[in-house]
Order: sequence, then C-alpha cells, then structure tokens
Amino acid sequence: MKARILDRRDVLKIVDLLKRQGYEVIAPFRGRGRDTFFDTVSDENRERIELHLPNPYYPPKRYVLPHIEPLLNAHSGNGGIRIQPTFDDPKRAIFGIRSCDVAGIYHLDRFYIGREFRDTYYERRRKNLFLVNMVCTDPGEDINRECFCMCADTGPASRDHFDMQLMDLGDEFMAVAGTARGEALFDDPIFRRGGEGHLKRRAEILNGVRSHFKNTTRSWFSAAVRQITQGTVLEKTWEEVGDRCLECGGCTYVCPACTCFTVSDRKVAPGEVERVRVWDSCALLGFTRMAGGHNPRRAVHDRRNRRFFRKLEHHFIERELSMACVGCGRCAAVCHGDVGMPSVVEMIRRATMETDNNES
Amino acid sequence: MAHRLTTCTFCGVGCGLYLETADNRVIGVSPSMSHPANQGKICLRGWHIHEVISTPDRLRTPMIRKDGQLREAGWDEAFDFIARRLKEIRDKHGPDSIAFLNSPRCSNEETYLLQKFGRTVIKTNNVDHGAGVYSNNSTDVLMEMIGVPATTNSFNELGKSDVIIVSNVDLGKRLPTIAGAVIRARLDGAKVIVTGTRSHRVVKNADIFLQNKPGTDALLYGAMTKVIVDHGLMNLPFIKKHCSDFDNFLSTIVNFDLLEASEVCGVQAELIEEAALAYAGAGSAAILYSTGLEYGSTDAIKAMVNMCLVTGQIGKEGAGLFALTEHNNLQGACDMGMLPDRLPGYGQVTDAAVRAEFEKKWKTGIPAKPGIAAKWVLSDRGKGSIHAVWLCRYDPVSTAFFTNAEESLKQCDLVIMQHLFLTESAKYSHVVLPTAMFGEEQVTFTSGERRIQLAKQVIDPPKGITPGWHHIMQVAQEMGADWRYESAADIMDEIGTVVPFYSGASHENLAREYGRQWPCTKDKPLGTSFLFEDGIPGQCFKFMRVERHDELFATSREYPFLLVLGHSLYYWHRNVLIRHSETLKREYQVPLLDYPEGFAGMHPDDAKQLGVRDGDRIRLRSDSGSIVTVAALSHEVRSGTLFMPFFVKQVEQQIQGPGRSGLHLIKVNVEKEAQ
Repeated sequence: MKARILDRRDVLKIVDLLKRQGYEVIAPFRGRGRDTFFDTVSDENRERIELHLPNPYYPPKRYVLPHIEPLLNAHSGNGGIRIQPTFDDPKRAIFGIRSCDVAGIYHLDRFYIGREFRDTYYERRRKNLFLVNMVCTDPGEDINRECFCMCADTGPASRDHFDMQLMDLGDEFMAVAGTARGEALFDDPIFRRGGEGHLKRRAEILNGVRSHFKNTTRSWFSAAVRQITQGTVLEKTWEEVGDRCLECGGCTYVCPACTCFTVSDRKVAPGEVERVRVWDSCALLGFTRMAGGHNPRRAVHDRRNRRFFRKLEHHFIERELSMACVGCGRCAAVCHGDVGMPSVVEMIRRATMETDNNES
Repeated sequence: MAHRLTTCTFCGVGCGLYLETADNRVIGVSPSMSHPANQGKICLRGWHIHEVISTPDRLRTPMIRKDGQLREAGWDEAFDFIARRLKEIRDKHGPDSIAFLNSPRCSNEETYLLQKFGRTVIKTNNVDHGAGVYSNNSTDVLMEMIGVPATTNSFNELGKSDVIIVSNVDLGKRLPTIAGAVIRARLDGAKVIVTGTRSHRVVKNADIFLQNKPGTDALLYGAMTKVIVDHGLMNLPFIKKHCSDFDNFLSTIVNFDLLEASEVCGVQAELIEEAALAYAGAGSAAILYSTGLEYGSTDAIKAMVNMCLVTGQIGKEGAGLFALTEHNNLQGACDMGMLPDRLPGYGQVTDAAVRAEFEKKWKTGIPAKPGIAAKWVLSDRGKGSIHAVWLCRYDPVSTAFFTNAEESLKQCDLVIMQHLFLTESAKYSHVVLPTAMFGEEQVTFTSGERRIQLAKQVIDPPKGITPGWHHIMQVAQEMGADWRYESAADIMDEIGTVVPFYSGASHENLAREYGRQWPCTKDKPLGTSFLFEDGIPGQCFKFMRVERHDELFATSREYPFLLVLGHSLYYWHRNVLIRHSETLKREYQVPLLDYPEGFAGMHPDDAKQLGVRDGDRIRLRSDSGSIVTVAALSHEVRSGTLFMPFFVKQVEQQIQGPGRSGLHLIKVNVEKEAQ
C-alpha cells in the first residue's frame, strides 16, 4: 500500500476533497456529555468535526445496513400489482471510521455479498461507500474502558478493508491508501512523500497505544473460542448469562458485525404497501418461533448461547473468513445485565477454570 | 441527517436517546451514554421507536360521523362541531355531564390544557387519566404519609444502595432500564430482595425471594416492620423528629406476628426475618414498587411506607421510595392535576383557599365538587349522568381493562377522540382529530424520578396536523376562552406559575443537560436529585394504620385457587403503539399467537395434580360465574394461584358476575374441561 504524509492542519481538507467528488461526507461530532455520533458534514458543522473522541456509539454499519430500509413499493390497480424497488444508495464517505468498525463492515461484506446470494441493496450501498479509517492513537479520547480490538485483532490500526487510513503522528498525519480510489486522492497537493522516520514514528505510537488496553480481556478471548468450538462450556454458565439478560436486543443492534434483520409490510395508502427491512435480534423470543408455535430457542439462555456460538465458534469464523466480533466493546456498554462479550468471555474462563482438573 | 437528544415516549424511566432523521423522516435511534437515567442502555421498545414514529398508517384528516359513518372533514368544521355540540350538551344536561379522559402518555402541556378546559370552560372536575384506576391510590397514600406523591430518589442512585427491595413488579419486562440498574447494583455488592406472587427475571438475580400469596403484601410488609420493631432496630431519633402518629401505628403492629404472617403469606419465617433485618441494617435501602396495574393495593403501599419511616430510610442517597410509573408521563399527568379531586400541584378541589388561588390565576371560577373518575365514566357513565366524553390520546375500548368501555361510549351523545391512529374507540366516536406524534412537537414529559424532560421536535408532522394542545386551545377559543399560547413553551411558563415545584422548569432551562427533577424552582433551577436532600423539615412524615383484610385472599376448599388478573408478561398496555413495529408486534403479541383465546398461567405442579397439560382447556369457577380458558404452564406462577392477563377482558365480567367492582383477586376452583 502506498503512504503519504500531510500536515495536521490539512487533514479536514480531505473532507472537502471528498465532497468535491460528489460524496456526502459523514464525520464524528460530539453530543451532550460523553455522547458522540456520526453525522452529515455541512458548512455549518464542518469546524466541529473532531479527530479524537470516543467512538460513536450508534454503529456505522447503518450506512450499509440501515436501521430501517425501504425495499420496495407495491401498488395495486388496473387489475394488477406493480412492484418497484426503492433503492437509497447515495455516494457516501465516512471520515473517521475506527478500525474495529472497518472490520465490522468487512464482516458484513463477507456475509451479504461474499456468499452464494448477493444482497442487492447492501451491494449498491457498499459500492458507493468510501471509508477513511482513523487509527486510535489517543488513549484518553479514542480508547474507552470497554475496547478490546487487540483481542479481536482488528485494531488499533486496520490492516486492510479501508479506502484510506489516517494516523496522527503529531504535527503530521500519515495517510495510507487501501484501494485504488483511495490512492487517487493522493494526487491532491496536500499529500507529500514521507520517509523512514515517519514509519518509525508510526511503529512507536502503535506500540505505545497497545499497552493502554485493559488487561483482563486480552488473554482469554482465544480460550473462549476454543472452549465454545470444543463444546466444553457448561450449561450452567449459559444459564447465568440468561439470568442477567433482559432481552432488549441492544447487543445485536450496536454490534458492527451483527447481520440479522426482519421484513415488514406497511400500508401507506389504500392499495399501496411499502416493504421495509429493519434490524432484528436473535436475543428475542420470537426470532426463532415457527408457525405453529414451536420454538427451538425458547429459553433465554438458549438464545444467548446461540449469540456467542455465532461470534466465536470456529465454523463461523471459517465460513466468513472473519470473526463476528470486532472488539469495539459496545455490547459491554449497552447491556443492562453486564453480559456483553468481555463479561461472558470472563464468565466462561472462570467457570471452566473451576472445573478444569488439568489447570495447575 | 441530524441527531437530536430527546427522551423516550414509552415507559416512566424517561431514558435519553438520540433520534436520527433525514428528509423529514425518523430513520434511527440510539441510546445516550451520558443520560443519568439510562447511561447508554434502552429497552426493546426504545430500539424500535423509529419504526413506530415512521408508521405510515396515521390519521391524516379530521373525521366527523355523518349518517353513521366517519367521513373526512376540515379542521374548522371539526372544531365548530365540537364547540357547538359541547355547548348544546352542557346547556341541556349541565357541565358535569361532560368528562375529559386522557392517556398518561400525553405531554404535560396537553394534559394541563385539557384539565384547564374542563374546569374553566365547561366548569366540571370530571377530568382523569386512564391509569388513574390503579395509580391514584399511590398518589393519595404518598401525599398523606410523606407529603410528596412521587419517587423520592433518583434511578442512578440505585448503584449506591446497600439493599434494594422490589415489590410486585416484573421490572425486566415493564421497566427494563431499572431492572438493569438493580442487577448491576447486585453485581456491585448490593443485596436484592424481591417480593411478589410471580417470579421473573430480576428474581433470578435476587438474594432473597419472598414469593408471598396474592393479596398478602400488606401483611408481609407489616410483619417485616414488626420484626424491625421487635429487634429494636427502629430509628427512634428519626421517628421522633420527623414522624407523627407513630404510637397509633405501633398499636396495630401486634396484628402482624411473624409466624402467623409466614403461614398466611406462604413464605418462610426465616426469610421474612432475614429480609427485614437486611433492610433495617442497611446504610441506605430503597423500596421499588409500581403504580401500574399489578396489585398495588392501598394497604400494601401504606405498609411499605411505614417500614421505610420506621427505619428512616428516606432523605438520603440510595434510599427512599420508588413509586415507579409505567408510562412516560404518568407522573406529569398527576402533577398537572388530571385528577377528579385535585388541581395542578395536588391541591384538593374541595379546598376553598386552593380554588381561590386558581380562580385568581385563571381569571374565572372553577367548580368545587370533585369529579367522576375514569373508571365510573367508562363503566356506567357516572350512573348515567355523563353524556359526552373527550378522549385525548386515550383508547379505552382497547386499554380500559377494568370495564367494557364500548357500552358506555355507545350511549354517549358525543365522543370526541384525539389520536394518532383510527383506534378501536373511533368506532364509537362522533369526531376524530389526528394529533402530532412523538418527535413532531416539542413538549415535556415527567418521568418516574420526577425528571421533567423535553421531548424535542425532530421532524414536521404530516400536512395539516398540529399538536393536541393546539386543538384544545382552538376549541376553547371558539367557546369564548381568551387563550393565546403560541407554543408549548408558553404553556409550560404558565404551568410554572400555578405549580410551585415546576416554577423553574421553563423549556429553556430544561434544554440544558438532561431536563430537571422537580422541585425545580426559581431558587433551585437545577432541580432536586433526591427529596429532602436539603434536610427534612420537622414533622412532615406520618405513619398510617394498616388493618388486616384476610378475607380478601383467604381461599377455601371449595375455591382453593386465587385467580390474579394482571398484565401479560409481554403485553404493553394493549399494544396500541407497539403494533406499529414488526419486531415489537412479534415480541409483544407472541402470547396471542400461542394462545389466541387467552390463557391462565398455572404452575406445572398444580397442573399435574389436575391432570392438565399445557394448552388444555380448563374451567375456572367462582361463586358468581365461570369461564373456560386455556392452561399455560409456567414455573413463574405461584402454586395455588392462576394468572390471567388483562387483555382477556371478558374474563373479569364473566367470572365476577355483573355489578361487582374490579377486584384483582378472585377465588376459583379449576377443572379440566372436555377438550
């Protein structure tokens, strides 16, 4: 991959560059208190774009898989029904998407367009999406208590799957091109070639940042993968998880790598129906309910263990060539009962340690 | 795209969330991490709020019934019609022939104007909110005993409580954010005690579960209080300084003997004692109960407050009484005086001095006679005296479980309905006005922790549609009132002049940070986190005697089961809003799919004894009626009890027989019916 250097004061010009190319640019802003969110850049808010701030909670997966997405309109009349797809796939650039979220979008790519059936709606949106990844370098602002991208091997700097990556080196930024269209931006005069010194600085900063992640979640993630894949997690552990779960769906909705959805037909007017796709969650009772009332996952702990199997079981990692957990920590923040990924990994570790006779 | 911080429209937690909009549509929702009440978490309902808001099947134009059919009409036509008909009925039958009923989800501004309209334009006190039948007893008891009809502390203090008691409410389903706070408090070392007839998710996270028989709450809490007294753990300095009527109350405590209570409640004496000692010995201990329609009997609430006062667990962080509200503005509806016997701020309508104050501020006379409560308006039209009903966002045909509202509405000469959708009650309405939806107007809601919050306007309402308060103002003007509110903020300013504890709560002040918890006054503009945080003024608390009424729940050999009527675990207030989201509809209506004719929840052990399997038809027989229903087996139901969700309305009437008032506990016997 090619890399360039630019001055700190020129970084936001990338936003302008993308806008000139016809992209609607999304960037991170502060809300109230610790809240942050991605929003459309306009003349009014451009100066308020922040480069270092807590990762926006509402995951950017919604730019490829919207929270609610119109799919088609059906009109009845003249003795027939006319169906028209409703596509909504503007050219968009996310300026400042984090490495964990980049991995999340890559996982969704594998799921939605990397297999036998290609999802047209997803594909159209994805083709028009330009990703400018911002490496997490500020331990105070960028990294929060729940982050564990190190365990999930997705950060703090993405290795791939972005169009451009920006990294704060101090007075200068390093820009790395991940795709041809990312590289095409390098024609702009704000970019110049760098040298060995810049690469060294990058390595120094990344090493420093890595040491800032919480210790507890670093060691046992792979053990959880192994235990789930081998089927050695105790039923009791899943029951404990289920006891603390309030079936809110939050973990699924905030997860950058969760893919589930349902479809709803809504009456717009007499003779006109719109079909929308909305996020859904395997945490919910009705998710696997069959016609007739049979439900293979009626108990809440059966639904919870399904989630962690989908995330950590080897077969799924193999199938998507990507793990369905990117270490962003949002599930830990959103969970009422504190049974997000970090806590469950720890619960699995503790439970199996207690019963593992081979542990010395 | 835009993101606006607002507060949720569903339950009384008042979670902070961001609504994402684009092209005048709400396209997404996410929780606020910084909001003190929910700190980054919301429930399933909140996660689908955008689906509900964006539902296309809204009412678009007013409708007036002509020749038996509701037909589209213009706004002026509709307002003229309403004003004319109200005048006619008032002139013919008197002001008290008209009643105003609203939903506890209406905003403060809307609610305030509706009760003001009833009192100053029509001159009646027939104003009530739809949840009053089961929550107004909490208001009355708290007013009497602690002088404030609301939760005393804040939700985010639960993390600081040493002991938390949860009484008779399935927090996990009704108020999930609070359930989460309780679960996390326990993970942090708090002791959690749950009381109640039915087991639920929070029970799985409790240290002590007192699964008492239905109707025995007053007895249980009385027994715990006696344990505290017997062990000498009363907070005597606190009682002496701040409470009256202690001796009177103490003289009745002898009726709550631990061993006898244990027998009658069906709970081990050791557990009752353990719970009582934990509560009394805690640095700060909180009691949580719901003002929703589970078994919130007046006596139970009195008993809980007595126990709180005996130990002085009030007026400090992490302690207190949590009168949880299950609707986003139930607290506000009461604060705004949408009560037949109280004015805004809770003064009694029968109090001449209070009335004089209002007459001065409202510049007109107001009636002195307390009005007819919603329950009676909708059961028998106030013994036939009501001829017109104004329903504001209230669909009693669907949600008034306690009676068959259809009958009453059918007999009314005028039914005015303001709502978002053509609900069931529209069938009996003479005029229907479409209102603005949550997110289409800037108004305020007051959550269960007294937090007055702005619900922001993030999109424009459909063409022609205005806020509900605006309709009320228009009709008032047509009837001669000189009302000139340019915005909801104007109404809030007026509210501040008549409700002292809202006097600092202007929209401007509320827009900063996360709303304000009342009392929010000019002197205390930042609001009040927990009541009495500045000190407890003298003797402002009062004990109350609780008498035993064992006959209410005592079973016999002939009728050995207690049938409890309550919320379905998954149903949310008849799903009027819920059904507009695919996921919510699925999750909240699953019981209807599995048991389309309704069901009675039964413990598997009881079922086995009767030879009943899940899905079998069973007959429940009381001394005045019987019904056939379907058995739904669940370990959450207490053995010896049956649980029936309210949505099977016919049940109550069939099994209680005509003319009986809405008791929640019915003694029945159960037989397997021919399948």
